[in-house]
Amino acid sequence: MTAVIGDVEREAIDHLAQVETEAALEGWFRTYLGRKDGKLSGLLRQLGTLDPAERPSFGAAVNAARDRVTAAYDERKATIGSSALNSRLAADAVDITLPGRPVASGTLHPTTLMIRELSAIFAHLGFQTLEGPEVEETHYNFDQLNIPTNHPARDRWDTFYVGSRGTDDTVNEIVLRTHTSPMQARIMEQQEPPVRVIVPGRCYRYEATDASHEAIFFQLEGLAVDTSITMSDLKGVLTEMARQLFGPATKVRFRCDFFPFVEPGVDFSASCAVCGGKGCRVCKGTGWLELGGAGMVHPNVLRNVGYDPAIYSGFAFGLGIERIVMIKYGIEDIRNIYANDLRFLESFAGTRI
Amino acid sequence: MNVPLSWLSDFVDLTLSPRDLADRLTMAGVEVEAIHEIGDAWDQVYVGHVEEVTRHPNADRLNLVRVVAGERMLTVVTGAPNIAAGQNVPLALVGAQLWDGHAAEPKRITLKASTIRGVPSEGMVCSEKELGLSDEHEGIMVLPADAPVGTPLREYLGDTILELEITPNLVHDFSVLGVAREVAALTNQPFHPPLVPELPPPTDGGGTDGQPLVLITSPARCARCVGVLIEGVTVEPSPEWLQRRLTAAGLRSINNVADVTNYVMLEWGQPLHAYDRDQLAGGRIVVRDAAPGEQIESLDHVVRKLDEQMLAIGDAERAVGIAGVMGGADSEISDSTTNVLLEAANFNQYAVRYAMQTLKLPSDAATRFSRGLDPNLAWGAAARATALILELCPGARVTATADVYPEPVTARTIDLPYGEIKRLLGVTYPVAETIAVLERLDLRAEPLPAAGEAEPTLRVTVPTWRQDITQSADLVEEIIRVIGYDTLPTTLPTGRVVEPQRDPLRLFADEVRDILAASGLNEIICYSLTDEPTLDKLTFNTPWTTWWEGHRPNFAATRLVNTLRSDWQILRPTLMADALTKLAENLKHRATVRLFEVRPIYLPRELGQLPVEKLTLSIALGGVRSVRSLYSTAAENSEPLDFFDLKGVIEVLLRRLGFTAVTYTPSTYATFSPGRAAELRIDGELIGVFGEVHPAVAANFGSSAARTMLAEIDLMALLARLPQRAVRGSLTRFQATVQDFAVVVDEATPAGEVQEAIVRAAGPLAQSARLFDEYRGEQVPAGKKSLAFEVTFSAPNRALDDREMEKVRGRIAGMLQKRLKATLRQ
Repeated sequence: MTAVIGDVEREAIDHLAQVETEAALEGWFRTYLGRKDGKLSGLLRQLGTLDPAERPSFGAAVNAARDRVTAAYDERKATIGSSALNSRLAADAVDITLPGRPVASGTLHPTTLMIRELSAIFAHLGFQTLEGPEVEETHYNFDQLNIPTNHPARDRWDTFYVGSRGTDDTVNEIVLRTHTSPMQARIMEQQEPPVRVIVPGRCYRYEATDASHEAIFFQLEGLAVDTSITMSDLKGVLTEMARQLFGPATKVRFRCDFFPFVEPGVDFSASCAVCGGKGCRVCKGTGWLELGGAGMVHPNVLRNVGYDPAIYSGFAFGLGIERIVMIKYGIEDIRNIYANDLRFLESFAGTRI
Repeated sequence: MNVPLSWLSDFVDLTLSPRDLADRLTMAGVEVEAIHEIGDAWDQVYVGHVEEVTRHPNADRLNLVRVVAGERMLTVVTGAPNIAAGQNVPLALVGAQLWDGHAAEPKRITLKASTIRGVPSEGMVCSEKELGLSDEHEGIMVLPADAPVGTPLREYLGDTILELEITPNLVHDFSVLGVAREVAALTNQPFHPPLVPELPPPTDGGGTDGQPLVLITSPARCARCVGVLIEGVTVEPSPEWLQRRLTAAGLRSINNVADVTNYVMLEWGQPLHAYDRDQLAGGRIVVRDAAPGEQIESLDHVVRKLDEQMLAIGDAERAVGIAGVMGGADSEISDSTTNVLLEAANFNQYAVRYAMQTLKLPSDAATRFSRGLDPNLAWGAAARATALILELCPGARVTATADVYPEPVTARTIDLPYGEIKRLLGVTYPVAETIAVLERLDLRAEPLPAAGEAEPTLRVTVPTWRQDITQSADLVEEIIRVIGYDTLPTTLPTGRVVEPQRDPLRLFADEVRDILAASGLNEIICYSLTDEPTLDKLTFNTPWTTWWEGHRPNFAATRLVNTLRSDWQILRPTLMADALTKLAENLKHRATVRLFEVRPIYLPRELGQLPVEKLTLSIALGGVRSVRSLYSTAAENSEPLDFFDLKGVIEVLLRRLGFTAVTYTPSTYATFSPGRAAELRIDGELIGVFGEVHPAVAANFGSSAARTMLAEIDLMALLARLPQRAVRGSLTRFQATVQDFAVVVDEATPAGEVQEAIVRAAGPLAQSARLFDEYRGEQVPAGKKSLAFEVTFSAPNRALDDREMEKVRGRIAGMLQKRLKATLRQ
């Protein structure tokens, strides 16, 4: 009888090797291991026909055989299962070069990006960012800045007047600020030194626009006042700014210039970020990019806000934000910046600070 | 101002190349805007001498000219009518670069050998136009008899012109002499002022009526007036050298007397005026306030009306000049003038500036006067002009002089404590070097005896022509601009730390920008000016009003007095018009456009007061919801963005900012389609409006979108109501229970009210409620709709069992019934 067990076991293992699919495996399972009519289970049903003395050893042999066949089955099932999964996954493969599902992505305006970049640079230098009114009194836009009424220096700022205009400009009138500098006076009037601020903001000039001039534009004002602020500090701060903007090799150059609210007054340039100072189209062959005006806060301005110029000194500077945007991003016409054309705006998707 | 180097070199030796000189001047604050070379292209042009002129054998109007230039002798054909034997002329050889004498616009040509009517022409005699000197092409240019025949024309007539931009503070550099003094200082060369014969001292009388030659009746506005009477003058064209210098400097030659006044103005910076003395009533002049309404015909033959804020020059009867601006036509120097009254005055800069601006007459004289001239210039300049007139008119003589100068201005002194240099610049220089630099600028510096202090004080004497130097900081600038800003080191500020402050509004604005950009919108920044017709395009059938107060502001206090564009009249009181304009523009090349702007609007107050600048957000959406792609159907691709796309953006923005209690109520604002607009309220306060733009309004802005969405939100009001962030600090370990509620309610009941009723009835157990289905049809009676909500319940300290949920469900059913006559479907 034991030989029968071996025959059934051998047959089951042989058949199992030929089973390839999960359905065939199920049929095989019913044939050999099914509870009711499986061939191995069937052997146990023959126990009653055996000599009672043989029964224990026969039963043990059947159980042992069934364990071995079951183990073989489990192994086979795992093999067939994973290959089925594999083929299912293979059928599920996609062309990964197809585009992704559209997700709307927006952009910030380049002027916003540049104001943030400058604010971050100056924050590291200890300057806080403040803003002020765009519509301003001539008292702050001119008088407090040592630009007296009727003085030809006022002709340097072509001005939009708001509300009404008297016959002479000796009274305080309302203008669209021509620069961010009135905030110098407003800030100093409100706080005692030390002062260290930058002021980004919109400014207005009553003059025709062209590829490099807008009537409405953004400036960044800088102001530092304390007991020991020097023009060398001004050069150092502007050099640091230029290096952060244009790269570590950038140099800053001062040229004597006239702004009524600084003395000494300069205009400042950075070595050309495009050609490194050798001369190119962007710097018009000079190797230098003019960025703005600067200088030591004029003693009259300090007096106007109640600071003693014998104790305090300070520097101030102003620069055009669009000018830096144009240099950094190779924009040739400033008017593109405020055309608000998506084809232009979306090209700033990859810029960051 | 144009300064020919040939003129400059009369007064200072030029040791630098023109380019280096320009750089040196520019670095020191006298900006050279351009360098113009006269004759830089005259490679094959020489001074020639006409030996003989004969008629062309084949043409009546042409001549054959034999010209000698050094060893060259050649024959050229010319049609110039003024050619004559014995003349010196510019002679161009084959290959010379010239300007086309017949072209209307400047055009370069290269001279080629040619044969004209059968006679070969070996070169060309040139007009001024062909040489690029002027537009004169009537005849050839005749050179002076002493011109060096045979030398290249460039050596004889070539020049370099520096075009200077003189800043308002540098009036002393507004002259050839001023620039020469500057060059001398910057290049450390001696300055050689011109030698001028002294004028006879002032005389009594001088007027034909016995009155003084010159009177000032407005001494507050005229510090000095010098008059010189020159009789026996012959008015004629100026000699070639004088014409050439004026032309090079950019002025037109008129006659010898007028040219001398201009020449001396350019050389000295002191404007002068010459009157035909015989046309002056009383033969004299008075500097006086203009009478209100007084009229004068100025030199340009325009009748000007003066007012009492202007300064006039009068004779015994009437105005004969606008002081410092322009002379009068009827006392102008003419060919028949024989007696000249020369005037060199010092007029008040503000009076001249006022007249120049009011009359719109920015003359060379007015530009100089309005910057504030040194009164001490007048006498020397008058002497220089007189000497030149006498040189040009040998028969003329000075018969009277006058100098009214009641309060002579003298040099002032400024003390410069030496430490100021270091304190302002952060660097210092040896005392001797500093003194030497100041001396080069004619600033005499004298160290005061130091009273035990290490550093001296310099007492600096400032000449009267340096009106710009009034305090020690000005002297520090003089020192550093000559020594050079390149010597400044770079340092960073030291000292006290500034207490950090953050500007909450600026940070909030940036947060709003970041959220919207991350939500797929593009930021725009528009011009802040608009006009009222544009505002009225924003509303349908009614005039524009604000959405928050429903009235139209009086724009008087935000209206521009002067403008550049017809659509820039007022500061914009809303961002909506620009949002719609830019949306429409971009829809011309995009299927979908999503824009936002974060900028102030300007709300007028009383005239003379600054407007309120209120930071505001606008959002504009238009176009299709999904672009054509693999993942969308054709139907989806034509579905327009609608009200709920915009509301979704606003919900994300408010949620990200931390707002939870926001209410939306219907808006009737006339920009929007009725029934598709909402007011956004927080704590009951109106914060913004949004909705679908009325089709007529959208059409006003040319929007091509099927539906156009627009929002405007007051960011300052939003910031004022910003909640403290309610952060969930711990997570409950109990499972939440999710249940669906299908509510049958009247068609007209807003879904928001149903949701609010559910949330209110559920109390603190409700974590969230979301409307996920809306159904009308067989299962629901006519006139009703079924709204399905998914509501999530949880409690921090327990799992919710069926009994508790049954009670909650009962409360919700009761509330719906009581408030909305709504029933729950099972």
